[in-house]
Amino acid sequence: MSATCEFQAKDYRSDLKPIWCPGCGDFSVVASIYRALAAIGRPPHEIAFVSGIGCSSRIPGYTTAYGFNSVHGRALPIAQGIKLSSPELLVLAAGGDGDGFSIGGGHIAHAIRRNMDLTYIVMDNQIYGLTKGQLSPTSQKGRITCTSHYGSLEAPVNPLLYVLAYGAGFVAQASPTDIAGMAAIIEEAIRYPGFAFVNIQSPCVTYGEEAQQIKGLKAISESLAALGHDSADRLAAMDLAQHYGSKLHLGVFYRDPDPAPTYGDLVRDRQALLSQGALPKERILDLFIKS
Amino acid sequence: MATRGIDFAQLSLMEALDLAILIEEEAQERYEDFAGQMEQHRTPGAARFFRTMAVNEGRHGSALFDRRTELFGPAPRTVSSAGIFDVEAPDYDEARAFMTPRQAMESALRSEQKAHAFFTEALPGIQDADVKALFEELRDEEAEHEALVLAELAKLPPEPGFSEEEFVDPPAAQ
Repeated sequence: MSATCEFQAKDYRSDLKPIWCPGCGDFSVVASIYRALAAIGRPPHEIAFVSGIGCSSRIPGYTTAYGFNSVHGRALPIAQGIKLSSPELLVLAAGGDGDGFSIGGGHIAHAIRRNMDLTYIVMDNQIYGLTKGQLSPTSQKGRITCTSHYGSLEAPVNPLLYVLAYGAGFVAQASPTDIAGMAAIIEEAIRYPGFAFVNIQSPCVTYGEEAQQIKGLKAISESLAALGHDSADRLAAMDLAQHYGSKLHLGVFYRDPDPAPTYGDLVRDRQALLSQGALPKERILDLFIKS
Repeated sequence: MATRGIDFAQLSLMEALDLAILIEEEAQERYEDFAGQMEQHRTPGAARFFRTMAVNEGRHGSALFDRRTELFGPAPRTVSSAGIFDVEAPDYDEARAFMTPRQAMESALRSEQKAHAFFTEALPGIQDADVKALFEELRDEEAEHEALVLAELAKLPPEPGFSEEEFVDPPAAQ
């Protein structure tokens, strides 16, 4: 330790007090984000944080970054627009599993195939908590809720397989069972040059089942690093990702060892190419005048 | 409870003091947050206790800060709170709506025990004699705090045979 620390975690914490239920897993997530941002050291005014709708989507307001608590399921399109128009910003998008994989599910594939340089954090609690406990896209089959009195008939979406299948360059999973590990993963995701996805198993203390609370999650946790997983191997990552719901693998599933150019890079290249033969603005009308 | 990116073998006294200050600041902030959550959930007994803990942690932090300033002046920090995780602060999932004062004190007790274990476990890796002495002092202080919380717990009347949560309306669908 020799370099001075320009930013501390508290520099990213806003004065707004979270109104999550006491014990909610999202408290650990926002604390990990403060630490990841402090480790990266970008000033808050150079960060844009976009979310959708839901308990977890309140998160931008609890940071000092520019925040946008936007429209249900639309965090990614807005985040992509921000990144494209202001490429110098560090862009984060966040939301819950319902926001991301139900109403917003269609947007993930496009953000991935474009390889937008942003980090998407999903706080996956397998329930719609804000609306008081309905089935969400990641709810387990058989789950009894107020909208499924006899148990859910649907198999859950697997967020990890979903993003791996679409070709995301960085895919990881974290949990408040290991807050230091979670901060490290978020930091690595932010540093990744391209679309990075972090699924966070964040317990809902009010509507979540016992097995989904910290104690239950600890019982099924396994560190990918301890398993000797090679994070450069996409197929091995997909194999491990199939255990979503029965095991909680923590760490980086996949990190593209040779990241593809981002959409922003390609757009700038295209603009540079096209601008070579372009007329200056003051002569643009010449195009319409016959010589 | 964890730290990341901190090499205890290489810690200087100034860095060790900064680390201790950041640990106290984190605990103060967490107790303030918990107190706010309890107030929001109309649980004044637990809120009062968490506020007291926040004041205590703030006091410890200030004392360490004064010592650091006396020894090293305004030299900038080289230790980052980015690497400090719940060393003395209660874990986030310790908080629950409608906690009793006893539950609040028990969570504080676990936090003091955590901090004690942190300094105890770090000690064998420390090489600098001054840092070692500081960590021993901090470890012993945590043991004193444990004793104080235990004494407060002993003053409480026995818990009733029911949980207040049993009287709370279950979450309702909309």
